Amino acid sequence: MEIILFLVLLVLGYCFGLLAERRHYRSIIAREKVMNSLPAIASRYPPEDKPYDQQLVVGSVVIGSDYFKSFLAGLVNFFGGSVVSYEGLLDRARREATLRMKEQAQKAGAEMVFNVKYETTSVGNSKLASVEVLAYGTAMKPVFAPTPSAAGEG
Amino acid sequence: MLVSNLEFLPDQKVLKHIGLVQGSSVRSKHVGRDIMASLKNLFGGELAGYTELLQESRVEALDRMIEQASGIGANAILNVRFSTSSITAGAAEIYVYGTAVQLADN
Amino acid sequence: MSIQYENRQAPEGVNVTRHNPVLHLLKLLAAAVVFIVVLVIVLNLLGAKIARTVPFEVETALMDRVDHSFSDPGTPPGLQAYLYELSERVGENLQIPEEMEMQVHYDSENEFNAYATLGGNVVFYRGLLKSMPHENALAMVVAHELAHVIHRDPIAGLGGGMSSMLAVAALTGTAGGGAVAKVLTTTGTITQLSFSREMESAADRAALVAIQKTYGHIAGADELFKVLQIEKEREGESWTAGFSSTHPQDASRIEAIARMAKENEWPTTGPLTPLPDEFTEWLGGAGQ
Repeated sequence: MEIILFLVLLVLGYCFGLLAERRHYRSIIAREKVMNSLPAIASRYPPEDKPYDQQLVVGSVVIGSDYFKSFLAGLVNFFGGSVVSYEGLLDRARREATLRMKEQAQKAGAEMVFNVKYETTSVGNSKLASVEVLAYGTAMKPVFAPTPSAAGEG
Repeated sequence: MLVSNLEFLPDQKVLKHIGLVQGSSVRSKHVGRDIMASLKNLFGGELAGYTELLQESRVEALDRMIEQASGIGANAILNVRFSTSSITAGAAEIYVYGTAVQLADN
Repeated sequence: MSIQYENRQAPEGVNVTRHNPVLHLLKLLAAAVVFIVVLVIVLNLLGAKIARTVPFEVETALMDRVDHSFSDPGTPPGLQAYLYELSERVGENLQIPEEMEMQVHYDSENEFNAYATLGGNVVFYRGLLKSMPHENALAMVVAHELAHVIHRDPIAGLGGGMSSMLAVAALTGTAGGGAVAKVLTTTGTITQLSFSREMESAADRAALVAIQKTYGHIAGADELFKVLQIEKEREGESWTAGFSSTHPQDASRIEAIARMAKENEWPTTGPLTPLPDEFTEWLGGAGQ
């Protein structure tokens, strides 16, 4: 009985996990194409070519593993090595968090985000991994104000 | 590929910032090492097995970041940052990211 | 000239390894299962071998320290004497090594069970005794348990079984992942049980030889398993019982007895010895 439940969970986890991952990647890739117009930069020194307003922007997401991925990761743990089943999880989490941060910056009317930093935390229990990724940075909003000096190059 | 955690290089000019690049790697050690490490943990000291695990992982993550950077035509990565997080018991992720830039040829 | 900023799309798939997850899982699972099976087999053979070299006196001394009485304080003296006498009679045909002293006990719990443990202690439960139709059937049970002691099975089971189960627990404990630990522990247990079943079969064979020598025929020796079979049918046995139980299937034990009798040309019929008249009285009536 137990073995049947286990197999069912494994198959369900695999199917739904695969579906969710594909769907998420499609969404990420489509949104990244749009958001690439708003650069995210790890540098701490913003350009001084024109006046900017600053605003802290954050984006965060928690992505959970599925039963299949967790089981595979547990097996890898037995022999050691790269836990490849979690790579997609982390990659998606990071890109999603970045996108959410950028979307917030865009709403605020920013041109770019500076000093981007990431924080990764594992939430959930030791059996089923879920990771939270937090992306944050400073959104640079151009000020179209008094100074008549037309800004550098576009 | 020049990899540095400086903001800018003293004698080289940055022409373009072309985006954030990142590399990550999740690794775990086999149970034998895990058992040794938990024994070692009773007495403290360096867990050499885990040090090695994270070092290997860091190298892979760096390689991946560099691959991304060269994929978008950068010749240097500045402001590089590392972060380590434990994903589940026994598995740790190394994450490294930085700004891909194009430096002016001297 | 100031710095230009843009966000180029990094190539896809750098941080994600391309792999076939199903194949990856099957490969790792197969490797892990093989590893556990081999480990359990090696530890069992080695552990049992080492444990059997421990002198029997050590077992006895150990049990003396434990200060646990297997016997029911209310055991009827007649029953105690009878069980002792029967074990002596059957034991004569079992080649009990000199240093081994058997201790037979009666437990008034209604369990359908009997077992042999360290220090030559053999315990018979009321539930089992109650369902014995004649002495020949009981003698087979007695001989079977005595054979366990002679084979040093209790201590071998401890050395082989415990060491392999501990090893599996240690390995799967640190591996994390509840399901993985469960799968591997189950694998270890199933492998482990095949050793236990082998011990049972060996005890059956030795017991049957003793029964033949004691009574001149083996009639009624398979009675125990027939009774067990009926018992289990009533409870409804699961289809996994073949590999998930400590004992071989009853049908195959009955078969093995028949095969052995045929090979040795032992008569399978003969006069059955009745149990003493006071037997049911000792057990406190047939009821409860």
